[in-house]
Amino acid sequence: MATTAMPPAAPKKVNRVGLEPADYKGNRSTLCAGCGHNAISERIIEACYELGVEPYRVAKLSGIGCSSKSPAYFLRSSHGFNAVHGRMPSVATGTVLANRAIMALGVSGDGDSASIGIGQFVHLMRRNLPCVYIIEDNGCYGLTKGQFSATADLGSKLKTGVVNDLPPIDTCALAIQLGATYVARSFSGDKKQLLALLEGALVHRGTAMLDVISPCVTFNDHEGSTKSYSYVKDHDEPLSDVSFVPYFEDITVEYEPGTSTEIALPDGSRLVLKKLRTDYDPHSKVEALRLLTESHDKGEIVTGLFYIDTERPNFLDLLNVVDEPLATLPESRVRPPQSALNEVMDSLR
Amino acid sequence: MAREFTIGIGGAAGDGLDKSGDTLAKSVSRRGLHVCAYNSYQSVIRGGHIWLRVRISEQKVYSHGDRLHLLIALNQDSVERHAPEVEPGGAVLYNSDRFSCDASLLGDGVVPLPLPVKEITKDLGRLLPIMQNTVALGAVVFLARLDFDSMAGVLADTFKHKGQAVIDQNVKILQAGFDYAKERFVPLAKEAWNFSGMRRPFATGNELFALGAVAAGCKFYSAYPMTPASSVLHWMASHGERCGLVVKQCEDELAVVNMAIGAGQAGVRAMCATSGGGFALMTEAIGMAGMIETPVVVVEVQRGGPSTGIPTKTEQGDLNQVYGASQGDFPRVIIAPTDTTDCYWATVESFNLAEKYQLPVLIISDLLLSEHPETIEPDALRHDVPIERGELVNEWPEGNGPYKRYACTPSGVSPRALPGTAGTEYVSATDEHDEEGFTISDVFTSPPVRRKIMEKRMKKMEGVIRELAPPKLEGPEDAPVTLIGWGSTCGVIREARALLAAQGIQSNHLHIKYIHPFHAEDVTAILKKCKILIGVEVNYSAQFARYLRAETGITVHESILKYDGEPFEPRIIAEEAKRILAGRPINLDVTKEDAREMAYHYVRTHLADADRPAEIELADGNSHGESLWRVQLVDRASGEVRGELKIGVKTGSIYAWEPLTAART
Ligand SMILES: Cc1ncc(C[n+]2csc(CCOP(=O)(O)OP(=O)(O)O)c2C)c(N)n1
Ligand code: SF4
Repeated sequence: MATTAMPPAAPKKVNRVGLEPADYKGNRSTLCAGCGHNAISERIIEACYELGVEPYRVAKLSGIGCSSKSPAYFLRSSHGFNAVHGRMPSVATGTVLANRAIMALGVSGDGDSASIGIGQFVHLMRRNLPCVYIIEDNGCYGLTKGQFSATADLGSKLKTGVVNDLPPIDTCALAIQLGATYVARSFSGDKKQLLALLEGALVHRGTAMLDVISPCVTFNDHEGSTKSYSYVKDHDEPLSDVSFVPYFEDITVEYEPGTSTEIALPDGSRLVLKKLRTDYDPHSKVEALRLLTESHDKGEIVTGLFYIDTERPNFLDLLNVVDEPLATLPESRVRPPQSALNEVMDSLR
Repeated sequence: MAREFTIGIGGAAGDGLDKSGDTLAKSVSRRGLHVCAYNSYQSVIRGGHIWLRVRISEQKVYSHGDRLHLLIALNQDSVERHAPEVEPGGAVLYNSDRFSCDASLLGDGVVPLPLPVKEITKDLGRLLPIMQNTVALGAVVFLARLDFDSMAGVLADTFKHKGQAVIDQNVKILQAGFDYAKERFVPLAKEAWNFSGMRRPFATGNELFALGAVAAGCKFYSAYPMTPASSVLHWMASHGERCGLVVKQCEDELAVVNMAIGAGQAGVRAMCATSGGGFALMTEAIGMAGMIETPVVVVEVQRGGPSTGIPTKTEQGDLNQVYGASQGDFPRVIIAPTDTTDCYWATVESFNLAEKYQLPVLIISDLLLSEHPETIEPDALRHDVPIERGELVNEWPEGNGPYKRYACTPSGVSPRALPGTAGTEYVSATDEHDEEGFTISDVFTSPPVRRKIMEKRMKKMEGVIRELAPPKLEGPEDAPVTLIGWGSTCGVIREARALLAAQGIQSNHLHIKYIHPFHAEDVTAILKKCKILIGVEVNYSAQFARYLRAETGITVHESILKYDGEPFEPRIIAEEAKRILAGRPINLDVTKEDAREMAYHYVRTHLADADRPAEIELADGNSHGESLWRVQLVDRASGEVRGELKIGVKTGSIYAWEPLTAART
């Protein structure tokens, strides 16, 4: 038998848990080429690879929409749950309560979260449930062919010429006001910023809400739309230049004193914010809300980390859930002790 | 004949009547008597008519019955409305400081028993208004020959958290009521009770749903308050921590059910409960649980509908909704527990079915079953209930090949790996998917894949039906009439049959607990041999009879239906069955009693509750095209005639209020 000599394979690039970038990929995307959602999936893949997240520990949760389909296109070997339209927040809450060892990664759309699911969205923010909550925000309902969603800006125009005459819901402002503890806005076209914000979100221990502007190339990328690539590029005003430094990498980031803020994250990682706007304090709710209101009035799209609070207890802390995941308690511990049941019976007599 | 005694307590919301009812019931259940109680209450926190009945018996009783031996009236309204129901030999006990009991309201052989509460308790310190009930209870202990020490013991337990002084005061008040009655009245109960001494728990269906869930290893309960399901939430909230259960009150029922499904998907036994309106919001998610094959238990406690309906009243009107919940065909189980103890076991069984067959199990209860308390047999609730989790994949070695979450198997059950199990990662999609979980709804919807996965899911129902005990006919097979019921009416139908038998009419009874899947063959075989079939349902359109016809091709001859908010009582069913057997048509006219109740309603909504109905007579309608009830209204305080109300006998329309005197100032 003839054998062909193969050149020795180049050593594979692996991360700290021994996985390759390809291990974080998903199925081939069936979304439109150029859809912002695809770029977000790529950043999620990179972020999880770089952090060395173990895919089997992740639950990808979503609702319905093009955006909600995207979990199929990253982290092939993670658990996924495509719920019904607008209900990802409660499904995620149930999942996290049942198994606190799971990293919940929620992906939703602006229609899924700000329209049909707004009730669920606000209540998840109040809970500060440990999870990453990404809204892939294109200002429209992509999957049902481009109608306005509740995040469409006043005056934005559909392809058909219809003009939106209602003000948008700012999901970041809501999230900050209601108690989410890591709130940021980014743009699917800003690779560096989005990656750093995602990495920070993945190690945060409360609700990390990321509103990522993600143009719908098919229905909302034309002249007159405020969620088109070119409009967002022209109006994007980054708050700071964000870098993420994982705890397992010994890197010092050098910045001139006074020009940057460093934020320690719970696992020892750091977020370094090189300020483009001086004096902005991401620990202040009031400042964050003022910034959002003012920039909105000026027609600017500010991006970056608006607010962070690493102190506020999350939902699991508040509920006093046992440390062990409830889902995997052995049968002997699933039942309450006999004494508890006897007490109950006695109280009925 | 076993001895029994029924005590009614009538008053206003806020009078503390339910507490008094509990005290009374527990004092006898602790001594071994059986109790079945029903509280007819209203959707207000204060005021509003409350009517509680406590039936006490030496033998097991299956409903609150339809007799009344002693009425405790806490206000004028209760005297007027319920005194006429007291049986000969009975009595009306009332606080004579506050109002009087018009002898004309009492039937023959019924005595008024005034209790001058102030006078009786004058040496016992300052009394809270609610303590008038305790005086009355003391008198009841004497009149019904109950056990004083047992009732004092219940009071001691009730006020334990308030300290000995409060306990002592209450027991003294009880004693004062007892002593007063002993001096002046004679006992109504002829003989002493045969106390067996067995301490029986006294519980409601909702408490047993909760307890059953906890015993079955439920670790997650979510809810949004809705009468009559709320008491499950209250129970869970107060016992959750002790029993190691996460209890979450959510923002709405959408969140409730989705959260429970999220928890179920992650591997925890999860349950939620609601009533019809909340269930309507849950329906989309229930189909989701069917599609992604997630175990979850949902309890629907029916109240009177449609829409907000009659929130504090009972009905079996949601069968169509529960059966029809969610779009598409998907496997699910619907169980209608038939009595209080069954609420416990049906819950245990539901969790096992939900996990073994990976599907939603819907329990359908109603206000009557969920909220009425009764004594249960102490050993009827075992704690070491079976916990069957079905086929679980705990590990998936690398050599196993890809794990298929929705593997097409002969039974339709695909071994389930919980999220977090390495090597078994999958996506659960509400879109149609293949064995591995890949959606087939976007790029190309493969018809055979869809067909086979649908068949796989539905196949599970064959396994389910094999596990469920088929229904059995109760009573003589050759009886001329068969009563068919489902869910909560089991007990009252049983007692109706006893009434019929006492009048020489034999009957039998088929009762359905498993609504879906349905034992169509067994039921057909049973009913084919029966003679006259009568459906008994608490709804307007005989929803179950229609379902029975769909499943078996068998049509009931007639249905006995009730949809006025109040539960069936044995006599109502027996009388209706006799009417049907005699071939008489149903009469939906406004009866004299109805006219009187309607007059009360009018007085409340138009005349500031100042009057009450007195003489009622039937009259020609003249211009109205139907006969009329002429209801005379008299002033509550003076008895002076105030005018006449005209009510249509057929339509129930209030045609006119004709005051005799000028409006009150
Ligand atoms: C209850 C319900 N109503 C309507 C729909 C139809 N529907 C599917 S996706 C969608 C909108 C999705 O918009 P968005 O969340 O912004 O996601 P995008 O497709 O833009 O990424 C709608 C209305 C549905 N699936 N369920
Ligand atoms: S329709 Fe819009 S949102 Fe949907 S995939 Fe295409 S570009 Fe993306």
